[in-house]
Formats: sequence, C-alpha cells, structure tokens
Amino acid sequence: MKKIATYATILAMCGGALYSVIAAENVAEQPVQVEATKEPVVCFESRKGASEITQQEIKPGWPNVKCSPTTGAALWYGDPFEGTVPMGKMPLLENIPDGHALVKPRTEKLALMPLCSTACHNGVGPQFTPPTLPKDKRPTPIPTMEAMVPDLKNLQHGRDRIWCMDCHHTTKRNMLVDNFGDPVSFDQPQLLCGKCHGDKLRDWRDGIHGKRIGEFTTGGKKRWFTCTECHNPHNVQDGLRNKGFVQLQPEPPPQLAKGMKDAKHELVHPVPH
Amino acid sequence: MLTSFVSDYVRYVLAGGTKFYAWMGSLGVLILGMLYVFYLQNTDGLIVTGMTSQIHDGLYFANLVFLVGVAAGAVTIVFPAYAYHHEGMHKVAVLGEMLAITAVIMVMMFVFAHMGRPDRLWHMVPPWGIYSFSSMLGWDVMVLNGYLILNIVCGFYYLWCKYTGNPINKKWFMPVVWIAIVWALSIHTVTAFLISTMPSRPMWHHSMMPIRFITTAFAAGPALIILIFLIIRKNTKFWVDDSAIKLLTTIVTWCLGLAIFLTLSEVVVELYARTEHANGLYYLMFGLHGLTKLVPWFWSAVLLMVGAFILFLIPSFRNDFTKLPIPCVMAFAGIWIEKGMGLIVPGFIPSPIGEVTEYYPSFVEVLMTLGIWAFGFFILTILLKGAIGILLGEIKFGDRQAVAAAAK
Amino acid sequence: MIHSKLSAAVSAKENTSERQLQPVSADPAQAVLKTTRRDFLKTGGMLSLSSLMGTAALMTQSDDAHAAVEWAEHFQKNYRLMTDQEKAESRARLEKRYSSEYGKQVTVDTTDAQPGVLMGYALNIRKCIGCRRCVHACVAENNQSRGTKRAGEKIEWIQVLRMERGKFDAGKMNQGYPEGLGIQVGGNAYTPAGQILEGQYHYNPEKVPEDDANYMPIACMQCEKPPCVKVCPVRTTYREPDGVVVIDYNWCIGCRMCMGACPYWARRLNVTNPVLPKEEMNPVTHYLGNRPRMRGVVEKCHWCLQRSRHGRYPACVEVCPVGARKFGNLLDPESEVSLILARKNVFRLKADLNTFPKFFYFYD
Repeated sequence: MKKIATYATILAMCGGALYSVIAAENVAEQPVQVEATKEPVVCFESRKGASEITQQEIKPGWPNVKCSPTTGAALWYGDPFEGTVPMGKMPLLENIPDGHALVKPRTEKLALMPLCSTACHNGVGPQFTPPTLPKDKRPTPIPTMEAMVPDLKNLQHGRDRIWCMDCHHTTKRNMLVDNFGDPVSFDQPQLLCGKCHGDKLRDWRDGIHGKRIGEFTTGGKKRWFTCTECHNPHNVQDGLRNKGFVQLQPEPPPQLAKGMKDAKHELVHPVPH
Repeated sequence: MLTSFVSDYVRYVLAGGTKFYAWMGSLGVLILGMLYVFYLQNTDGLIVTGMTSQIHDGLYFANLVFLVGVAAGAVTIVFPAYAYHHEGMHKVAVLGEMLAITAVIMVMMFVFAHMGRPDRLWHMVPPWGIYSFSSMLGWDVMVLNGYLILNIVCGFYYLWCKYTGNPINKKWFMPVVWIAIVWALSIHTVTAFLISTMPSRPMWHHSMMPIRFITTAFAAGPALIILIFLIIRKNTKFWVDDSAIKLLTTIVTWCLGLAIFLTLSEVVVELYARTEHANGLYYLMFGLHGLTKLVPWFWSAVLLMVGAFILFLIPSFRNDFTKLPIPCVMAFAGIWIEKGMGLIVPGFIPSPIGEVTEYYPSFVEVLMTLGIWAFGFFILTILLKGAIGILLGEIKFGDRQAVAAAAK
Repeated sequence: MIHSKLSAAVSAKENTSERQLQPVSADPAQAVLKTTRRDFLKTGGMLSLSSLMGTAALMTQSDDAHAAVEWAEHFQKNYRLMTDQEKAESRARLEKRYSSEYGKQVTVDTTDAQPGVLMGYALNIRKCIGCRRCVHACVAENNQSRGTKRAGEKIEWIQVLRMERGKFDAGKMNQGYPEGLGIQVGGNAYTPAGQILEGQYHYNPEKVPEDDANYMPIACMQCEKPPCVKVCPVRTTYREPDGVVVIDYNWCIGCRMCMGACPYWARRLNVTNPVLPKEEMNPVTHYLGNRPRMRGVVEKCHWCLQRSRHGRYPACVEVCPVGARKFGNLLDPESEVSLILARKNVFRLKADLNTFPKFFYFYD
C-alpha cells in the first residue's frame, strides 16, 4: 500500500512538473508574428517542435536569422553557428579539424530531459532491481507518459516491430542506447539511428543525407543537423508518402504573371480529350 | 551640288496640300504618343507593357520580325528589275529601296522599344562596346545595318544621278545592287535564325523557320508594295506600270501559297505526333489548359491567308486593280498576325519548364506600336514623295538656277 | 595571380577600415588569411586612390557626388575587360551609391573565382517536400525586387513545380479514342503520371508534402555549355572560371535573348525599378552576384557568389528543411556533390539539349 502511495506521489510530481515544461514549450512554438517587434521573434529551423532560433541583431542591420512572416520558419542564416557546440567524437569523422563540426544541442530543447532519469526512470526502485521489462517487448501503456508525449500513443516507427527500449536507455532515460547497450547522448542520435539505418548514417557522414550549414568546403566549419532535428523519431512514417517528414505549411506561391487573374488553369489538364 | 540636292529635296517634300498636311499631322500625333510611352518605358520600365519574365517578347518583337520581312520583301522589285531587266520594275526599283529603308528604320525603332536598356545599346558597338560573333542578335544587327546602308547607297545614288542627270556608274553600282539583293535574303534568314536556334523553344526550333520567314516576307512585302503603288498611281502624277503590279501579284500569290503550305506542313508534323514540343502550336490553334486567347487570332490569320490566296487565284480579282487591294490587305494582315503574334507569343507558351501564362498587350504597347508604324509611314511618305519627284523630273539640278537665269 | 592578390588586398583593406558587417564565414576578410602582411602592404600601396576616394566619398555622401557617381556608372566597361584599377573604382562607386540608397554600409565584393574550385549542386528530388523555403531564402539573400502592388515587381529565381503523381484508373479501361473503332488510344493515356514538366507553380495547400504530389525545384543550372551565354550580343553574361554563369548588370542591355535561350527558365527581367525595402536589403554583396540590380536588366541565380566565393553554402542550401539541397566543389572528390555523383542515381534536367548542367537531380 505504502509502495503504491509512494509511486503515485512520484508519478504525480513528475507528471506535474513535466507538464508545465511542455506547456511552456508549446507556447514558444506558436507561429511568430512580425508585428510583435518587442516580443522576441522565434522561428523553427527544420521542423516544428525541434530546434528553434531567436532572432536578434548581431551587427547593425545584420540579424542572426530571418524568419518567415507566413510560417515562422527560419528563412536565412546570418550566423549559421549560433547556439552550437562541438559535435564530439564521431566514428569515421575524426579527420574534421577541431571545432569545425558543430551541432545544436538537442538536450536543451527537450524539456523533459533533465527530469526523466532523476524523477521517474532513474533505475531506482524495487521494480528495476533487477530491471523487469516486459518479455514480449510490447510497451505497456502508461497514461501519464502518453499524456506527456502524445506521439507515444501512435508509435509508428518500426511498424510495431520495435519498442521504446530499442532506442531509449533502460535505466538512463535521458540517454539513448547504442548496439552495446551503452548510453548515447540525445545530441548524437546518429549513433542510435545508424544501428538500423546504416546506409543513411554513411550518407549523413558524407554530407549526402541530411543537412549541414556554414562552410561547404571539405573540412570547413559546419553545423551538422542531427537526425531528430529533421525527423520526428516517433512518427517518421506519418502517412504513406510524407517522405519521412512531418507535414508543414508551405511558403507563399509566386506572384501571378501580369494579366493572369488566378492559377486555376494549372489544375486543368493541358489538352482536352 | 549636294546642298542643292538636299534643299531641293526638302523644299519639294515639304510642299503639299491640306490632304498631305492632315496625313502627316495625324501621323505626328501618334509619333508624339509614341515618344511619351517611350519615356514611360524608360522611367518606369517595361512593367508598363504586357511583357513579363514568362512572355518577354511581345508586340515589339513580333513587329520587328514582320518588318524585317517587309524590308526583305523590297527585293521582289529589285531582283526582277536587275536580273530579268523587267522594264516596269526597273522604273520603280528605287521605290522598293525607299520602302526597305523605311522598314529597316522601323525595325530599329522596335529594337529600341523592345530593349530593357536602350540607353546601353552602344555596348554592342565596337570600339566602345563589344561585338559578339556568337550571338544571332549581333549578326542580326549587323545585317540590318548593312542592309540599311546598302539601300541608302543604292537608292540615293540612283536618285542623285537622276537629279543631276549624270549617267549611273554601273561599274560599282551593279555589284552593290547584287550584294543588296543577296543581303535582303540574309536579313530575314538571320532574323529567323534568331529564334530558330533556341532548342529551349521547341515551337521555333526547326529548320523550316528561315524559308517560312522568306516566303511570308515575299508575300507580305510585295502585298504592301502593291497597295503603295496603287495609292501612288491614284494620288500622284507618277505612273506605275501594270506589268510591275502584275508581276508583284504573281510573286505574292505564290509566296503566299508556299507560306500556307509550310504552315500546314508544320501543323501536320507537330500535331500528328503531338509531343510536348507541340504545346506552343497547340496553344495557338486550340488553347492549352483552357487558356485560349490566341485561338481566334490564329484562325483569323488562316482565314485571311487562305482567303487571300483564293482571291489572288481568281483572274477577275487579280487583274482588276480596284479589287486587288482586298486580297493584298488580307494577305498583309494575315501574315502580320501569323508571323507576329502567332509565331512569337506562343513560343513562350508554355515556358520551357511548362508554365502557361497568357500575353495581354497593354495600351502603352499598342500606342508604341502604332506610333512606330506612324513614324514609318511618315518617313515612307517623305522618301516616296522625294523619290517620285526626282523620277518625274520635278526636282532636277539646275532647274531653279535655269529658271532664275531665264527670269533675268 | 597578381589579380587575386590585388582583390584580396582590396578586401583586406576595406575590411580593416569599414567592414564590420559580415558574419564570419561570408566575410571577404577570409581572403586576408591567404595574404601575408607584406603582400598586403605591397599591393595596398599600389592600390589606386580610388577605394580611398570611395571611402571618403562615402562619408560625405553629397547629392552632387551621388549624381556624378551614377553618371560615371553609365560609362564603365564590361566587368571582364576592366583593369584591377577600374574594378576598384567601379566597386567604390557602387558601394557609395548603394550605401546612400539603402541607408547602410553596403559592401560590393569583387573576389575572383578561387583556383581549384568548380562549383556543383545536387538536389535530392525524392526528399523535396515543396515548402518553397529555398525560394524565399534566395530572395532574402539576393536582393531581388519584392514588390506586391504590381505584377512583375516580385522576382523569384527558384521555381518549385508541383507534379501530380497520377494513377491509372480501372474506370477508364473501356474508354478510348477513337470511340467505337477499336481502341487505339487508351482511356488512361491522358492521365498524368511521373515527371513531366506540366506542373503547378501556384499550389498552396495547408500542408506539404501532399500525398498525391511530387515537387521539383528548378533554378539556374549553371550549364557548362550555357545557351544563354552564346546568344548574348554584348557578352555581359558569361561563365566564370569556377563554373558559375554570371551577369554584369551594368553592361546588360535588356535584350532578353538569354531568357529566350535558357531551357530552364532561369532568368528574370527587372521589368521595373526593383522594389527593395531598405531594412530588407542584404548589405553584403558581390559585383557579379547579389548587388541590387536596376530596371531593364536580366538577373538569375549565381549560387550566392557573395557567399560561395568565401566558402559558405548558398542560402537555399542552408534553409532546406529536409536537406535535399547539396552544394560543393566538383573538383574535390570528398565534397558532397562529388560523392553524390559517385554514389547516387543522378540525372540532369533536359540532358538532351547538351547544356551540361552542373546542377544534378538525384534520388536515393
């Protein structure tokens, strides 16, 4: 009885704390209005809900970023390296000069992170010594958890052939896990994703897959976008044909040519039949 | 002697009745309008026209292409006159040259109207500018200027000789005439190459383009010349021989026939296979994506050209100089549509990457076009009047002096 | 060689004195790194007074001087034929005019093509989601006209086509043409499917990518054999040694032959005086790149010369949210584009025209 009570308390505590953080994050994600000059203009970079950047003038007449007034997306980088940290050691990328491979830390962005392993999934407690995870590897629905991370209700990644602990570390929940069971930082998700998507990891390493900004020259200073900055790992498959990305609002179409009243003709097949 | 030529010429040209001044005055009004819209175009930019980044050649370019044809068409007088020693043509050959001069000047004005930066045209002219031998436009400018010079030389040397009464120095005159004849072909061929050497525009990209240009030119040009000759016969003392007009009618008829044949061949070739490359022609004939603005123009051009051809074939029309203007006007208008708007605009529809937009010429464009045509008629009137005066012997060196001497 | 030193020196000089605007990587100051101090002093001494004069004039900014500058601009030579001195003068003139026009310190870079660099571009056609962010990034970077009042005031260099995926319909099996005479043309013959250039340019759904569409961005292909260069009557558009086809906007006569000759519809005409608000103007410019254009001249994509000549990615590459756009040095076997050419299925648009684009589409 006492056990359950303790559990409930911890759950409630951590749930409440986390919820407030999530709410705060949601506010920050609201589409940015240009009119609000006082309010800091925040735009999202690759996808909504991932990395963001706050607009500010770094030199007179030179902003660090320009944001789309329509969609709130980052449209132009005055400073491609703002808020970045060195990527750290990455297998097969040792040739890059020091400080020339940068990433934007995901850890800061993921508001739940600091609490996950300390409040709930800290590996402490009778349930976890020894860890008793479901043998069938089917996730047990935890209402609190699902409320906090709605993506979990509809986990599409792997099409039911993988579960939480294939990616998240069993006891260190603020870490991911590599093939050897060793923890991997959320800032280096490629070490996890590459476990299955080896071809993509290889292409990413070579700059063919994914995105890098900054200097294009080999060995130049680049900010590397990590896997989860562009893909939502929980629902990469959102629909059949979304190409691995969450849908987003497009920027406005081009101006109509002179004399054209609308573009409805584009929807008509060119040749009647 | 030269100054007296100029002063006599000007004096003669400026003298005229109310009809003459009304005609020149109304042209003058249009010319003023043209100057105003030219000012607009060069302060506000081409945005005042209907041209866009999609359809960036419009009325101006269409008229340019057409008028190069008219200029080349003058050779239909010069060639029979000098190659076949056609008596009637020989008498009026210089009028053809005057028409060619006018047409080339109009072409150049359309070039000025067409340019985004006419103030920088000197960039094409060495030594200040750069001449590019790889550019068809460069060649076109070269042959057009050459043709203008050749015609001025031939035409005014001939008039000069008539004026002074000296014999023509055939030693150099005849070679220049022959060069001018071949050159006439070159101006239109190069203009055809201007657009047919662009694989990006499949509607134009075929080797039939130069011959189509030549045939339509040799139909539209002489058709206009016939009209002018008939007007001259009616309004001046100068008599153009029937034989000249009849030969021109024959030339118009068969060049028009060839032009229609070539157009039909193109239609068959393009529409039988109906590839993406036929989209431009398809737009012209039937419309594309439900946009059909040029369709009525195309079919009216077809009607006009075929109708004119049939009328030309009917002897009662062909030989009756009161009825002859009808098919001539029809042929001229038909070719103007077919070769101008009908050829240039659909080359841009769709764009090379498949965007379909339509062309809406603006008032500015129409006024500019009318103004340049007015300017052309203005020059043509002056040139023809002066030439006719000399041919008639009304302007003659020594006349005034002789008269003055007699009075004393 | 001397030339590159000179221009480097120009950059260096002006950098130390007046350029504090650029971010590190777009900064021509990088060129300083390649020049020793001695070189700098040597060439700096040789350097004409013109840039100094430009700087001085910048400070005064009188209207008379402004008018004189504009007047001199009309008589400058084709950029390629300019001596280094004339280039420096032209640059000073432009910097002065732009700075006073846009109310901020504008720099006009004249850095030459870097040796050993042939720029190349690759686009992952499977990844593109049609969000048009590249289109607008390009506008933010390259100082295009962006008016909205009149048609033609807004210029975008990148076009994104939406193309229906298309599907074959069992319901059309018994239709055909001509009817009743045996089917020669199947009922599905007119159903769009696959990549044809009959796209939609003005699509504007709430969300992209849509299930039933592919997207295909098109801009200048920087052809190795560019038809536009061949037709230019004044040779104002030409291919630079690093492979980029550029335009000297001050020499362009606006004849639009290049626009007609381009099979990719990459070129745009400034039909009016460009509408470019002061606050949106990008002050870091290149002479052959994104410096503000004038009425009546043609412009097009130049792979952000003002950035790429200093090693920085073009603006469109940096904002693509799906990383579909790749840019690099084709002569460097380790560069992104070289690796893509080595490893992926690649095609060139309208390869049949033998224009040999350095813009490759690929898919994985």
